[in-house]
Amino acid sequence: MNLWRAVLSNYPYLVSLVLFGIGIATVLTRSNLMKKIIGINIMESGVFLFFIASGNIRGSRAPIIELGTDGVLYANPIPSALILTGIVVSVSVTAFALGLVVKLYKFYGTIEPEEIIEIKSTGR
Amino acid sequence: MLKNLPVMVVVFLLIAGYMMPIVARWDRKKCAPLAALAMGFGVLGSLVLMNTVITSGQPVTYNLGGWIPPWGIAVKIDYAESFMLVLLTGVGAIILWYASGDIGQELGHKVTGWYYTAFLLLLAAMLGMAMANDLFNLYVFMEVSGICACALVAAKGDREATEAALKYLLLATIGSGFVLFGIGMLYMLTGHLNVDFVALQLRRVWMFYPTVTWVATSFFVVGFAVKSALFPLHIWLPDAHSSAPSPSSAVLSGLVVKIYAFALMKLLYLVFSGLFTESFPVALAIRYILLVFSTMAILGGSLFALVQVDVKRLLAYSTVAQMGYVFLGIGLGSPAGLAAAMLHILNHAIMKSCLFLSAGTFIHVAGVRQVRDFAGLSKTMPWTSAAFSIAALSMIGFPPLAGFASKWYLSEGAMQSGEPVFVVLMVVSSFLNAWYYLPLVGRIYSAGEGGAAKEDIPLSMRLPVVLLAACCVVLGLFPKIPLALVYRAVDKFLLK
Repeated sequence: MNLWRAVLSNYPYLVSLVLFGIGIATVLTRSNLMKKIIGINIMESGVFLFFIASGNIRGSRAPIIELGTDGVLYANPIPSALILTGIVVSVSVTAFALGLVVKLYKFYGTIEPEEIIEIKSTGR
Repeated sequence: MLKNLPVMVVVFLLIAGYMMPIVARWDRKKCAPLAALAMGFGVLGSLVLMNTVITSGQPVTYNLGGWIPPWGIAVKIDYAESFMLVLLTGVGAIILWYASGDIGQELGHKVTGWYYTAFLLLLAAMLGMAMANDLFNLYVFMEVSGICACALVAAKGDREATEAALKYLLLATIGSGFVLFGIGMLYMLTGHLNVDFVALQLRRVWMFYPTVTWVATSFFVVGFAVKSALFPLHIWLPDAHSSAPSPSSAVLSGLVVKIYAFALMKLLYLVFSGLFTESFPVALAIRYILLVFSTMAILGGSLFALVQVDVKRLLAYSTVAQMGYVFLGIGLGSPAGLAAAMLHILNHAIMKSCLFLSAGTFIHVAGVRQVRDFAGLSKTMPWTSAAFSIAALSMIGFPPLAGFASKWYLSEGAMQSGEPVFVVLMVVSSFLNAWYYLPLVGRIYSAGEGGAAKEDIPLSMRLPVVLLAACCVVLGLFPKIPLALVYRAVDKFLLK
């Protein structure tokens, strides 16, 4: 019972783990290349959410310090700043992967690996 | 100047990398000298840094922007890091030398500038990974090196290379996702990203959050195992390494997979110091898993290599087997085991670069890619064949060559941890290696028309290979030279 209460009150972590799992399952089980790339993005969103959640304090404000407001809780800005970099990395990986998929589509006319294998085996 | 040297080494390579496409547009012939200049600076800088570390006995640290560690990003170069820096820049420079002769013809002159860009950025990112003392910095450099490594594979632009690059990119991203998750957990536990502070704080707080600590450890192991192709997670490696242009294969097999193994070693033994080295059940389980998978890698990689007909695929599967040795050393965790892992990182980088580059010469000049067409190559290309054979014999572990030293110290490490079964594994794996490398060497020296060389081999493609083969012999005769540094590095790993 206590465990459930702990899990439920920290639901952002639960959500981030679920997203991470969905992402990995999508990459590993879906064969469509576009779905794989989407899976990568879902997985990374899970990681990003985890970081952001670890910097948040319930009832806290954005860390813009104003004079004369003592005793106000501020959220930790470092995870958000880190994740800004993480998002940039994720965008560039996605762009590169999409570029490769476009190239494969030009070669084979499809983005389904099964069809690509078939085209290869029959010698186009 | 000396104070800023750690950052200068990386930044110089980055700037040179981004200048390459512009220089290529202006005058293609000026690319190679400029890249050589940047690499030369990298080699010199790394040697100076290693010298400083050895003579002073203190790590070289640099705080980016002048912010001191708990707040700012720090760079720290200790024995292990300086060893990696010299290895990366040295082998990287030799491969670049080869690439300057090869890449124009193999890829077409249009992409030459961009190829140098990806190459130099990859080197810069790996140097950054080696010296990063900040976990998030490590992650960013890891992603840069991942993207550049995929670009080096995709550079060939044909169907196989594009498919292999996409596969590599997807799996590498899963790996770095796991690593980033692990970093997030460590940050949540300790509130720090600096390696020293994380290690210090983790030892205080971990017993309150044992689950999160061990999950973070496992995530690091999984993430880095994907990126450095530990056996069941190696599926991307043979495609990527065999379809890439030859200099790319050499740099990917020789350096890129190693730097991830090194990063894992650093994390396990510096960040989780006093946790991973103790006999906690989960730490023992992780070690056991590493040992089992590396055994599978050593046997499985060699067995897969046995049935390959394409020489580059054979070499790629051999890399899978050799990464098993490195992970075996990490898993054993005894001083000699860790030292052997680091020594093998060096030896394998030299042997496998030599093999891939000389195989590249065979493919490029004689036009033979299948193992069965290798007969008689020694007549048309005596120097390259000799270098290939020396590296292949070294791979098997013939006594006066570098591969023997790795296997010797790894066996010593196994005895030190009281696991003599791995000595048997060394012997079995040597037999397996001999099984697929000896016929290759025999075929090169047998009679045959040997795919008569269509043209002369340029000097820039012959000398680097011979130089690497000479390194194999020197390191085999005098393994104590790198070991002197490696043992000091290992002492730091096992200190706490």
